[in-house]
Amino acid sequence: MEQFLYYLRASLVSIRRAPLPYALTVFIMALGLGVFFANATFYYRLNADPLPHKSDKLFFPMMLLVPWECNDSTCKPPPVLSYANVQKLSSSDIPTAKAAMYSSDAYLRLDTKQPPLPVSLRITQRDFFRMFDVPVLHGSIWPDDSARNEVILTEALAEKLFGHSDVVGKTLLLDDKPLTVSAVLQNWQMLPRLYDANNRNYTNAVEQIYLPLETGYDMNYLSNSQSSTFDDTDYRQLATQGRTGALHQLQYWVQLDTPAQQQAYRDFMHNLATTEQTAGRHPAVINNQLTALRDIVTYFGGESGDIKAFALVTLLFLLVCLLNASHLSLNRYLSNQYELSLRRALGASRWQLQQQMLVDVLMLTLFSLAGALLIGFGGVQLMNYLWPANRLFAGWDLLLLSGLLVLAWLSSYLVTLYPSLRASFGALNQQLKE
Amino acid sequence: MIKINNLSKIFRTELIETHALKNIQLHVSEGEFVALTGPSGSGKSTLLNVLGTLEDFDSGDYLLDGQSVKGLSDKALSALRNEKIGFIFQGFNLIKDYSLFDNIELPLRYRGFNAAERKRRVEYALEQVGLAARRDYHPSQLSGGQQQRVAIARAIAGQPRILLADEPTGNLDSLMARQVMELLEQINQNGCTILMVTHDPEQARRAGRQVQIIDGQLSDAAMYDPLAHNNPLVKSSPVAVA
Repeated sequence: MEQFLYYLRASLVSIRRAPLPYALTVFIMALGLGVFFANATFYYRLNADPLPHKSDKLFFPMMLLVPWECNDSTCKPPPVLSYANVQKLSSSDIPTAKAAMYSSDAYLRLDTKQPPLPVSLRITQRDFFRMFDVPVLHGSIWPDDSARNEVILTEALAEKLFGHSDVVGKTLLLDDKPLTVSAVLQNWQMLPRLYDANNRNYTNAVEQIYLPLETGYDMNYLSNSQSSTFDDTDYRQLATQGRTGALHQLQYWVQLDTPAQQQAYRDFMHNLATTEQTAGRHPAVINNQLTALRDIVTYFGGESGDIKAFALVTLLFLLVCLLNASHLSLNRYLSNQYELSLRRALGASRWQLQQQMLVDVLMLTLFSLAGALLIGFGGVQLMNYLWPANRLFAGWDLLLLSGLLVLAWLSSYLVTLYPSLRASFGALNQQLKE
Repeated sequence: MIKINNLSKIFRTELIETHALKNIQLHVSEGEFVALTGPSGSGKSTLLNVLGTLEDFDSGDYLLDGQSVKGLSDKALSALRNEKIGFIFQGFNLIKDYSLFDNIELPLRYRGFNAAERKRRVEYALEQVGLAARRDYHPSQLSGGQQQRVAIARAIAGQPRILLADEPTGNLDSLMARQVMELLEQINQNGCTILMVTHDPEQARRAGRQVQIIDGQLSDAAMYDPLAHNNPLVKSSPVAVA
């Protein structure tokens, strides 16, 4: 410890000798690391696995059940299903859990005297909460998938409406239809929100209100994200037309825990498609997809290309910064060469000099890390301003900060390594004369 | 103490080779005070640097305390320099940002002494050179003579067996030079072997033995044992020969 403090003091003395070049080195390092870190924050968050323990067990089934000829490889199954097709898929007992869902908008108030508040809806089924590990704070989830005049709120919305979160049994008006609160969800945010991955919806916040699927249909809520149809039915009358018509708006998820279950479900889908084809309900070639949660963004081609490109640019920028910092560092060490050579002449081994260099690395790491955090914070704010859609992904966690610390250490070491090796080798006598 | 056999050193550039030392043969016994003299560029400083392991050599052998220096690892050479050799440079080579205490303490740190032992040795060395009251001064606050005394204190703090001095009075006026020489004589009388490069004939005469180098070669008789009184190049008898 005493020797460490000595090296620390030696390092500070060396900094005091030429503070400006040192400050410039730190600034360049901090700039490179900070800019890289700001972008890495979004890259890391957007590519995170929100459910690592089950992201390979939750699957998104898609089937090419369209009423026209579609026999080439460009024909992909639509990402949403009709109500009737969901019913057919739901008939299988192979999945451990299954839930159809879609998103919509509504207006909410507690009584008719209040101005209506726009809210986001997820219209879904009971298993949604279990499959996606949604935490319940108060009350309980619906016991089955039948229609019921009940809603589930997020904690934040309950607080906003009622001033507290324990509001189970209270009534509210959703588009002026009275509904009872059956549960309140603990504040949660699935990042990225992969249960709704197509059209890059996964960057959005989770919805504020959860409504049973059957109730959503009864209340004529249409999807606000993606829907398609093959006929000219007026689906604004969803309650009467939506369950039988060709309106495709439902996302469907199943939980298949084992490879055997997954294979069995693939077989089930194939048999279903064959049956539909045989019955003449679709002429297209059979094309079923069963995509895991962790692959869903890639499948939909929704990866953030801009962030990826930025990652490359900021990495190159970091390398340029490191090269510049290394050059400055080399000059600094060469100007200190005399002292280092004197230390060697008086008995310091190269390893002892390297230990002193490691303390220099530590100092450089700490200073550049502090600067990188400041610049990184500024960079994140700037990116929030430029790409507000990614705002939810701006958070730092311990793993990310640890990554920055390791990167700062490695960068400082790389910047110091060559100069320190140069300073440790060479003809002592010559260096002492210089 | 020091045995050098057929030692040669060549400085090479792309265009020329300079034979700085040619077949040097030199034996120095413990406790001797040897002055290395010779014209500028004759190789005396190079020889001193080789003796101090600051410079490598091309051929021959160098034995220090019976141990061959050739092929020693960096760690072993560092330990050798740290424990057995003290250096006094013409330009003092003090670190300006450090106090006298810190400067003198520097080689002791690499020796692994604890803080109390380092303090004891530094204070003793400062007393020896008469600068005990100025331990917290910085080199820039001292005269040239005082700075050289600090360098001597640094060299003797680790109680080395050999002191290598490269023109230790080269940058000093005559009064200060005399004081430094007296100090070196005193250190030598305490049993430390000293090899000193000097241009000054008067200082050379104060050494126990003079060894002259011309064009990288020792003058014939100088290379032999210090007790070779019949050697015409030995100007006076050695002192404090063990």
